Amino acid sequence: MAEIQFVHVSKVYGGDVTAVRDLNLQIAEGEFVVLVGPSGCGKTTALRMLAGLEEITAGEIRIADRVVNDLPPRERDIAMVFQNYALYPHKSVYENLAFGLRMRKVPRDEQRRRVEEIARVLGLGDMLNRRPAQLSGGQRQRVAMGRAIVREPKAFLMDEPLSNLDAKLRVQMRAEIARIQQALKVTTVYVTHDQVEAMTMGDRVAVMRDGELQQVDTPQRLYDAPANLFVASFVGSPPMNLFEASVRRDNGRLLCKVGDSEFELPADLEAGRPALGAYVGRSLAIGIRPEDVREASGWDGARLRGRILLVESLGSEQLVHIEFAAAPLERSDLVDTAAQPPGPSLGVGELEQAVTLLGRFDRHLLLTPGEAVEVAIDPRLLHFFDLETGLAIPSAVDTPVPAGVAG
Amino acid sequence: MAVAESDFSLASRRRPRWSRHRVASAASPYGLLAPALVVLGVVLGYPLYLIARLSFEKYGLFELIRHKGRWIGLDNYTAIIHDSQFWHVLLRTVGFTAVNVSLTMVLGTAIALLLVRVSTVVRYMLTAALVFVWATPVVVAVDVWRWLVDPQFGLANWLLTKLHVGNFVHHDWFVNPWSGFGVITAVVVWGAIPFVAITVFAGLSQVPAELIEAAQIDGARAWNVFREVTLPLLKPIFVILVSLSIIWDFQVFNQIWIMLDQRPSADYYLMSVYSFVESFRISEYGLGSAIAVVMVLIMFGFTFVYVRQMVKAGEVR
Amino acid sequence: MSSATPIAPTPVAAVVRQGPSARRRLGLLGWNAAGIAVFVVMVFPVYWMVSTAFKTGPNIFSYSPKWLPVPATLANFGDAIHRQYFWQNVRNSLIVVGVVVVLSLTLAFLAALALAKFKFYGRRAFIVLIIAVQMVPLNALIIPLYITLSRAHQVNKLSGVIITYMTFVLPFTIWTLRGFILGVPRELEEAAMVDGTTRFGAFVRVLLPLVAPGLVATSIFAFIQAWNEYIMAYVLLSSPEKQTLTVWLASFTTNRGTAWGPLMAGATLTALPVVGFFLLVQRRIAFGLTAGAVRG
Repeated sequence: MAEIQFVHVSKVYGGDVTAVRDLNLQIAEGEFVVLVGPSGCGKTTALRMLAGLEEITAGEIRIADRVVNDLPPRERDIAMVFQNYALYPHKSVYENLAFGLRMRKVPRDEQRRRVEEIARVLGLGDMLNRRPAQLSGGQRQRVAMGRAIVREPKAFLMDEPLSNLDAKLRVQMRAEIARIQQALKVTTVYVTHDQVEAMTMGDRVAVMRDGELQQVDTPQRLYDAPANLFVASFVGSPPMNLFEASVRRDNGRLLCKVGDSEFELPADLEAGRPALGAYVGRSLAIGIRPEDVREASGWDGARLRGRILLVESLGSEQLVHIEFAAAPLERSDLVDTAAQPPGPSLGVGELEQAVTLLGRFDRHLLLTPGEAVEVAIDPRLLHFFDLETGLAIPSAVDTPVPAGVAG
Repeated sequence: MAVAESDFSLASRRRPRWSRHRVASAASPYGLLAPALVVLGVVLGYPLYLIARLSFEKYGLFELIRHKGRWIGLDNYTAIIHDSQFWHVLLRTVGFTAVNVSLTMVLGTAIALLLVRVSTVVRYMLTAALVFVWATPVVVAVDVWRWLVDPQFGLANWLLTKLHVGNFVHHDWFVNPWSGFGVITAVVVWGAIPFVAITVFAGLSQVPAELIEAAQIDGARAWNVFREVTLPLLKPIFVILVSLSIIWDFQVFNQIWIMLDQRPSADYYLMSVYSFVESFRISEYGLGSAIAVVMVLIMFGFTFVYVRQMVKAGEVR
Repeated sequence: MSSATPIAPTPVAAVVRQGPSARRRLGLLGWNAAGIAVFVVMVFPVYWMVSTAFKTGPNIFSYSPKWLPVPATLANFGDAIHRQYFWQNVRNSLIVVGVVVVLSLTLAFLAALALAKFKFYGRRAFIVLIIAVQMVPLNALIIPLYITLSRAHQVNKLSGVIITYMTFVLPFTIWTLRGFILGVPRELEEAAMVDGTTRFGAFVRVLLPLVAPGLVATSIFAFIQAWNEYIMAYVLLSSPEKQTLTVWLASFTTNRGTAWGPLMAGATLTALPVVGFFLLVQRRIAFGLTAGAVRG
């Protein structure tokens, strides 16, 4: 087990393609950190640099306080689980598991002992003589994990190990991996593009985009206090509703205007978010999570009026797409699904600018597309972002945690 | 304007149905296969039958004129079995094949491994060179090498003398069959390397990079990676290449024939040359056929291995 | 800019390591040197042939080798071209090769269709036959071939040679075309049939254009094989005006010795078409014989 550090690490291909830009990340001993982001964000490159499979263009990587930049993979004492498992097809399961031990000249009976124990733990006991081609996807995945575990390395590196499994198996294996990691307490760096996986498995999650680290934090804090628009739209499913708004002051009250509606921001909100004061008279971006969008009956606070476009029944709740007047955000740093202008409008009345609001409504409500609806907004649940930089306008309490310090 | 039903039925009656039927049966698989099979049957099937029959006949000049052989049963076979020359030639051919195939495989694989490690420019250069060599007709290649080992003006003699390996001035490489075969082996291997090198290189690029990386992470050094991961994955390719090489090298004819000005001495006989000489020089076609039959049977053994590997690889569906 | 603040406690010297380590660069240099050495060794005979073709007599027949053909001359080429029967032999080679290519492509395409698109009794056996037949030692069959052809009065005729060449060209062509046909999705033919063609019509209108690369590759393979073949032509064509170029090359060696300069020129000329075509298509030809063998 060891501490892992990325210090100003960069990776540049061919002189002009930057895959990873100035990555600084500290991973504590025994911690499970997930690198997550869309394809091309640099997470796999970062992992491969850690493994020694890619050259580091600039910066240092340290494992257990030892700079490993020039060390070949086999001397870093790390183990890796690949997306396609990379099991040796011509070797039996036993030989696959024992390979790493054999390479390190572990005595034969010690090999046998460790392999058989791992096999037992992972439920592979009676498959030791089979070839990978004869195993199911889930079994192969377990052999790949076993191969990593049996070596008792300083760290586990996992490159999207679950993406080749079907949905149900994925949920099962997610839990198993998490369980194993907790039992063994080995430092683990896990790469995935699936934010659900990231949130459920990691002690801390590092969100990356275009080679840059956006935010590293515990899953809950990522959800509650995203540091910028990208993280806000990436984390959480269904994604956060984001749109443009403006703030003005009227008689000491802070008013927020969204499309045609305007509502007051309570005083304690401004007190808790002093930076907001700089945005008076300007436009900014506002976000609200779908579960914070409620049907307005019985609410005497801010309301937004809109028209129901579509109701998706999930059984446990209803996902309602509501069209209402607001300026959509058109930015490249948003994940595609969030805040898109709606398709052809079902409603009467041409809206010049419209946004689709996603709300998670109680399953008992009777809702029909085309119907007008009022939605309750609790301003205290709003997220605020700078329109130019995309950075969150922080509250006094919720400062995003810097990358260097462990969660 | 509505179209009457009757118009349609008229039209369909007008289209002659028999043509569709004819085309369909002509397009049946046997029909498609027939022309090719006929040609192969005539040019391959019948000669195969013929050579088997000829090997049991006496077929000299007299018989050639009369277009008819005289059945002598196993006499040809007994003749060659008791002929010590036959066994010498067979042994020589086996030895020659073994040496050539080994050299070709080892050098070809080494070059393939080299191709993986060099920079792109050098790789293109080397691949282009291999392709050039491969495309060169055998007759041309033999002539070039003949020139290179020419006693008076050949480059080989000059080079070896210059390097103080010995006195090679005016050295005739073909006086001694061992050195003669050395030259012939050089030609054969030189011409055969490109196919092996390029095929193995293609195979190497099909080895998933992830497996290599996994082995590296598991602690394997370069040699271990090659032995434990790469080689087993390349086994099917090697089986095919070795079978093909054996089949081709066993039948080497052109190189010997042209290298020795169409007049090889008995020391230079390989099986194909021996069979040819017995037939066309001495006009003992029956005897030549018997030798050829032995060759074919030996080849069938290796063909079986090759075919079985292809079936295993799923090519035969 | 990242929202993460720069990292914490441990003092970090700004270590900037640029590019691959020196050790790795040295290794690459070594491999490249080896690669270039192999290149030189492999290519040298070809270079020697071409340069000898351009050398003047004294430069060819000199005891210390002249590495560069300076001064260069075309006399050897002239000599070679003006030899008796050269142009006839070129014509013969072209005729043989042309007919072999066209004929084998046609027959092979039909046969490949049968093997790829239909399920019929004995199909697997045919496929095995096609593979195995490529292995029959043609040199061994010279005798019966000669006898058969002589009975049919095909000896010393180009047609005899053409038919003979079909033996080794057909199987490979059938095999390769079958591979290409299998690679075309069935939906395309089915769409054509729905649109109104017959099954055979679909073959010709849809499949044929799509396997064009295969046709090109196999025709070049047939070209090369037919152009380079020696022993059959040597046996079957006895009169010099009927011979092909490969046999013609043998005429440079008389009992007075070998005319090396013109021989090298002639060899260069003989190799030229083949090398040219080969460079166009190298990879596609090669691996029909070993296709798909690596199944990880």
